[in-house]
Amino acid sequence: MQTASQDLRAAPVPGGQPPVLRVRDLTKRYDKNIALDHVSLDFLPGEVHVLFGENGAGKSTLISIVAGANAPSDGYLEIGDKKGAFQSVGESQACGIRAVFQEFSLIPYRTVAENIVLGAEPLGRFGLLSKSAARDEARQLIADLGFNLDVDARIASLTRGKQQMVEICKAFRRPPRLLILDEPTASLSEQDSLALLELLRRFRANGTAVIYVTHRMHEIPAIGDKVSVLRDGQLIATVGADTEEDELIRLMTGRQMSKIYPKPRDPVGDVGLALENVTLAAERGVTQVRNASVSVRAGEIVGIAGLVGCGKSELAQACFGLRKITGGTLRIKDEEVRIATPGQAIDRGLWYSPSDRRQEGLALNRSVRENISLSSYSFGPLKGWWNKPARESQLLADLAGQVELDPGRLNHAVGDLSGGNQQKVLFAKSLGQEIDVFVFDEPTVGVDIGACLSIYKCLAALSAKGAAILLVSSNLPELMGLTHRMLVMSEGRFVAEFQRDDYDEHRILEQFF
Amino acid sequence: MNSSTAAEIEGAGARWGQALSWLIRNRQSLALPVMFLAALVIFSLGSERFLTADNLTNVGRQSVYLLIVSLGQFIVIVNGGLDLSVGSVVSLTSVVGSLVMAAVFAAFPDAPMLAIAAGFAMSVVIGTGAGVLNGLGVSFLRIPPFMMTLGMSSVLFGVTLFMSAGRPIYGMPPLLGEIFGFGRLGGFPVPVLAAIALVVIVYVVMEWTRFGRHIYAAGGNPRAAALSGVRTGRVTIAGFVLCGLLAAVSGFLLTARLGTGEANVGSSLPLESIAACVISGVALAGGQGRTFSVMIGTLLILLVQNGLNLMEVGAYAQTMATGAILIFAMAIARH
Repeated sequence: MQTASQDLRAAPVPGGQPPVLRVRDLTKRYDKNIALDHVSLDFLPGEVHVLFGENGAGKSTLISIVAGANAPSDGYLEIGDKKGAFQSVGESQACGIRAVFQEFSLIPYRTVAENIVLGAEPLGRFGLLSKSAARDEARQLIADLGFNLDVDARIASLTRGKQQMVEICKAFRRPPRLLILDEPTASLSEQDSLALLELLRRFRANGTAVIYVTHRMHEIPAIGDKVSVLRDGQLIATVGADTEEDELIRLMTGRQMSKIYPKPRDPVGDVGLALENVTLAAERGVTQVRNASVSVRAGEIVGIAGLVGCGKSELAQACFGLRKITGGTLRIKDEEVRIATPGQAIDRGLWYSPSDRRQEGLALNRSVRENISLSSYSFGPLKGWWNKPARESQLLADLAGQVELDPGRLNHAVGDLSGGNQQKVLFAKSLGQEIDVFVFDEPTVGVDIGACLSIYKCLAALSAKGAAILLVSSNLPELMGLTHRMLVMSEGRFVAEFQRDDYDEHRILEQFF
Repeated sequence: MNSSTAAEIEGAGARWGQALSWLIRNRQSLALPVMFLAALVIFSLGSERFLTADNLTNVGRQSVYLLIVSLGQFIVIVNGGLDLSVGSVVSLTSVVGSLVMAAVFAAFPDAPMLAIAAGFAMSVVIGTGAGVLNGLGVSFLRIPPFMMTLGMSSVLFGVTLFMSAGRPIYGMPPLLGEIFGFGRLGGFPVPVLAAIALVVIVYVVMEWTRFGRHIYAAGGNPRAAALSGVRTGRVTIAGFVLCGLLAAVSGFLLTARLGTGEANVGSSLPLESIAACVISGVALAGGQGRTFSVMIGTLLILLVQNGLNLMEVGAYAQTMATGAILIFAMAIARH
């Protein structure tokens, strides 16, 4: 890996080439808060520059200024002989800067080709749209980038990973000099992530400068050249991408972190959740999951690994009555159950936490308080017709403490919180009632290390209290760190099982495909 | 620390800047009081009769009917829906309620209260029925609320016209108007007291009960609410039923006030009730809005209509004004 990247850097980029972009003393103030504090950086052609830091450290502010979506309070950008700040995204694009943000700018009910050419559609005779030219151009671009995408597919029918590819195609319609990727792998499967990283290596070889924002530390040495660590709006250091993880965490958080994953509890108890030969109803003619069997004991954390779309999320949803089980049985605490609605599952002590906090998990315009206590009023200690402000506050103080959420935020709208804090709110929801069996789908997707650590601690505490936990995740290091054992799902079937002592990243990954 | 030193350096000028930025940041919550004050000032200058106790009492009394309908609209909008059938429910209640009261009063002329009770019961049945149908259509048939209630509005209005044959309906017991139209209790007009009671009830339901939490949560994110074990279908139906009931009560009180059953009494209410909610900061996307603001929003609409009346601007211009206020409020809510 190391040698390959050095080769790529050495060949096409002549030494001493001037930076594509210089950032000088960039500062952004919001009222009293300072989001970015006199940051100066150079972005060189053919270099992948990783921005690393906790949520709220200033990464998003920095890239939004570079992309022209935000204006700095102070400081300037330097591109070639031009100095200043962009007034709009259009100006930034005119200078060859493209950004792919976490929120996509795709039209859901139009096709891939239509989205790719959007804004500058090729015209045919009489100035009418030429659909064939659009599809040809899209197909060519997709082939150049090495993606596997159907130009006629509607965006809404694609996975997030594929949507991201479309977004990247859009960015590359006119090849950029500087490409900004904001946590591109946060919602991608392992396979799509690998493909994206491979693609980045090719861009780098072409002399494109890349700004890469990520929370996944294992990606940094695989793809990055330099890492700039931000904390509280300040640039702490710019170091080589081969810097040790411990050191990066120390720079990012300002504290020493001996280990990320808490050790799982040792003895485990009776079976809490058991799926036996579960088959799910077919969707669009394709059976999602076939003959899946897995059991989770009290105090045990069992992981399900696999590519996005392999059926692992669907299986998790089926436990909660969100998908129809057509074959096999579901047992909760040794009792065979048929779950038709989430309410029935919660009544029996099973909780499911969805992977998409914004779409499925939280009411963003309501307060943290109302979000967390929502089901406690039907299933938990607050049960009853009337609101109970005093007991509610007591419960919330306790839950906020458990997930390490600032109690001063309880009355803020959830949408105003950072991604990490939103994820903590989602986690806290699962703690507001008596639950013995938890099913978590991607509990740390797209959140910073600080929030991850809080959530890992909570998972360990739940397991220590004797909860049975089924953990579905696309983050393999996380699964390896947290679980007692792990099953790999591929195309709707469990294909392998690993015990903690036998965990080996390569052997597990092999089972994915 | 940074900010305090910065403020010292920039001195007093910063305070104005801060005040301005506070105004800009809070412009959405300030819009309603500012529009309210602006209306008061403009109309006081326009007519000396405007700012008199008599006139303002009058505005209060007139606003009762719209206010009650707006409360129902508020519940449905917070739940993420919209109810365009409120006007037809009011009309249907007025016509059918009157027919029932007139028939019972003709049969038992010695028992006017019986006729009134029968009319009120009929109103409740109509409101509940319309609400249940709207709710079922939206939650189980998954028809968008806009289409469901628009269709429902036409169906109910057709029934209203059929029942009334296009004529006003007379023959209700005079006691109806004496109590529910013009009656006073402890010096306060009965309709006003009824409206205040309903405001308090809706406030308590929305802010102090689990059901209210469910309405807000399902409006904020229906999927998240369902995954938290909230039975969102039932919540939606209950929301539409409350809205239908409130519209029916409004129709009953309006009939008492007018002394006749009329097919056209409700025609302006869908727009006005939605306007009252939007002016009050109720988000059309759902999940946001406060009960008491809806009261202020309703008063503002009536205040504008009353002010234009006193300034001898015609009825057509008043209709224009209501629409313009709605658009203006929407523009503020969006920016």
